[in-house]
Amino acid sequence: MNDFSELEDQLRKLRPATPSPELFRRIERALTSQETSTSSAGVLPRGKQSRFNWISLGLGLAAAAALVLLAIVRLQQPPKKVPSVASLSPAPAVSTAQLVPAGLTQVVYHTRDEGLRFPNNSSQPMRRVRSQAQETLRWRNPKTGATLRISYPREEISLTPVSGQ
Amino acid sequence: MENVATDENWKICFSQLAPGLVLFARQWTRSAADAEDVVQEAFVKFWRRNHDIGNRGLLYATVRSVALDLIRRDSRRARREATALSDADQSVLPAFDIEDDSQRALVAALDLLPGEQREVLVMKIWNELTFAEIAEAVGISQNTAASRYRYALAALKKTLPST
Repeated sequence: MNDFSELEDQLRKLRPATPSPELFRRIERALTSQETSTSSAGVLPRGKQSRFNWISLGLGLAAAAALVLLAIVRLQQPPKKVPSVASLSPAPAVSTAQLVPAGLTQVVYHTRDEGLRFPNNSSQPMRRVRSQAQETLRWRNPKTGATLRISYPREEISLTPVSGQ
Repeated sequence: MENVATDENWKICFSQLAPGLVLFARQWTRSAADAEDVVQEAFVKFWRRNHDIGNRGLLYATVRSVALDLIRRDSRRARREATALSDADQSVLPAFDIEDDSQRALVAALDLLPGEQREVLVMKIWNELTFAEIAEAVGISQNTAASRYRYALAALKKTLPST
């Protein structure tokens, strides 16, 4: 930077103008006050303070979208009975050195009766019940005792024929 | 240095930084009053968040952010300022205590610099930031900061052939 050393010296000789004493007083008032605004007599709007909230909102929306997609996929599958623990048969070629299914638990935490429906324009009324549950699949390595658990949310809609009386 | 708003620490820090901070802010505000408003908001925000006052890159980034927010929030005023600038009212940017004609010529040459070069020059010369700190404040690489600094000096030297 030797080529510019003389120019840099000239620039450093330029002294920035001194700020007004009022600026110090305004900052002192702002720092000593408990208010979050900066007492700039309305000249400056308040700064952005909601960055974290936006991030939280975004994460929440993303999680909600993932749940909705999962529910849609579930709804598009044919209804199936919830397998019991005994129905989870181990894979035929599983060796004792691998993880084998050890169980499944289902916790239904919300059930809503959505009333009578006539699906596909049928004359037979059916009662639609929507239930939401958390399912947990568990595998266990019988040799080492290591376990693996996978939990996921599940939404199920059941249609029960209603006999007219 | 501990950030305690109730004691006199902030005054010591701010008295050292204020001229350079206001000069830095004036690049975007074009008036001393607006620049002081920007510096006030930025410094209060910085101090209240208990940032390390030694983190000058973050402090200048805060000033820059507040200044740019001000421009975005008040586009009509920005247009008025741009109009005023186009009317060759160059004396308000940047603000120095000018002692002679050579310094007046130097300030006039500074006004002709592109904004991205001038802000680096202002941070380097009158605020004594390192290129690493400048890079953090502007959001560019250190090499880019150094390049802009060199381009600014070269442009000034070209404008002032006697230098």
